Amino acid sequence: MATKVYALSTCPYCKMARKYLEENSVSFDVVEVDMLTGSEREEAVSEVKRLSGGTSFPVIEVDGEVIVGFNKPKMQKLLHL
Amino acid sequence: MSDATSKRRFSPGTTIDDLKAYMGPFAARLGYKFNTDEDFVAMVLEGEIEVLDRDGDVYCPCRMRTGDPKEDLKIVCPCIPFYTDQFSAMSKCWCGLFIRTDVEDGSTLHGVIEAPDGPVDVRVAATGDLADGQGRVVAVGKRKLALFRVDGEFFCLENVCKHLWAPLGEGYLDGHFVMCPWHGWRYDVRTGTTDHPDADVRTFAVTVLGGEVFVRI
Ligand code: SF4
Repeated sequence: MATKVYALSTCPYCKMARKYLEENSVSFDVVEVDMLTGSEREEAVSEVKRLSGGTSFPVIEVDGEVIVGFNKPKMQKLLHL
Repeated sequence: MSDATSKRRFSPGTTIDDLKAYMGPFAARLGYKFNTDEDFVAMVLEGEIEVLDRDGDVYCPCRMRTGDPKEDLKIVCPCIPFYTDQFSAMSKCWCGLFIRTDVEDGSTLHGVIEAPDGPVDVRVAATGDLADGQGRVVAVGKRKLALFRVDGEFFCLENVCKHLWAPLGEGYLDGHFVMCPWHGWRYDVRTGTTDHPDADVRTFAVTVLGGEVFVRI
């Protein structure tokens, strides 16, 4: 199962979502979009827009399904926690 | 951005307490208060100070700037006025830094971010904004509504007189009746009814909570 978290380094719900995944031993990739520069950043931003329709964080992708915000119930469902 | 420095409201060295002192009263006027979870508030404001040091203003720590200064103004904290419908429905702002004044325990809202479908209560005024016998036009998103106060009670109608689309919120109140400012058509603010055939206007439910007036739309 592939899980990817698009986050901002300054965002509290991003921190809480990452902590929640760690606590539940879910392995995941993190992209801290605000720490990227140049074309890498542009690519990440357009990916976030494509997935979520906006630029509000966190955006979590679980096997192609998208969760916008720290939405525990939805994470539990998609990750079978 | 070259003009960022001249426009910034906070100088380097701004502390969490400075932000609190500035934002608290502003949010209170909009019907919001700081989250009751103080550790969480500290975490959000620390994020904002990082953003301030890096980007020159207290942009939302949870959202991305577009690079268009006009658009980015909408995510300078507190951004509540730009998202009244959404935040009111969630009972908090996107980041959870602010919660609606009527929420007792803000920690119960952490992570609950999906706005429910259906009607939402949107804050339109403070009770003190209107005296008895007064009306005014209030904006909810793009919609304009007419708000009236009679004997300490609030009533809300569509803001258009069915005669010539005059703004009812600017009409004159006589007891529970508002007279259209243009040609004097009379509407009952409690029911939206008028003597003229097929000319009733829609009413909106109003609740008052902690000195704030909310309209259900
Ligand atoms: S969502 Fe909350 S924390 Fe973020 S800018 Fe708006 S008011 Fe501030």
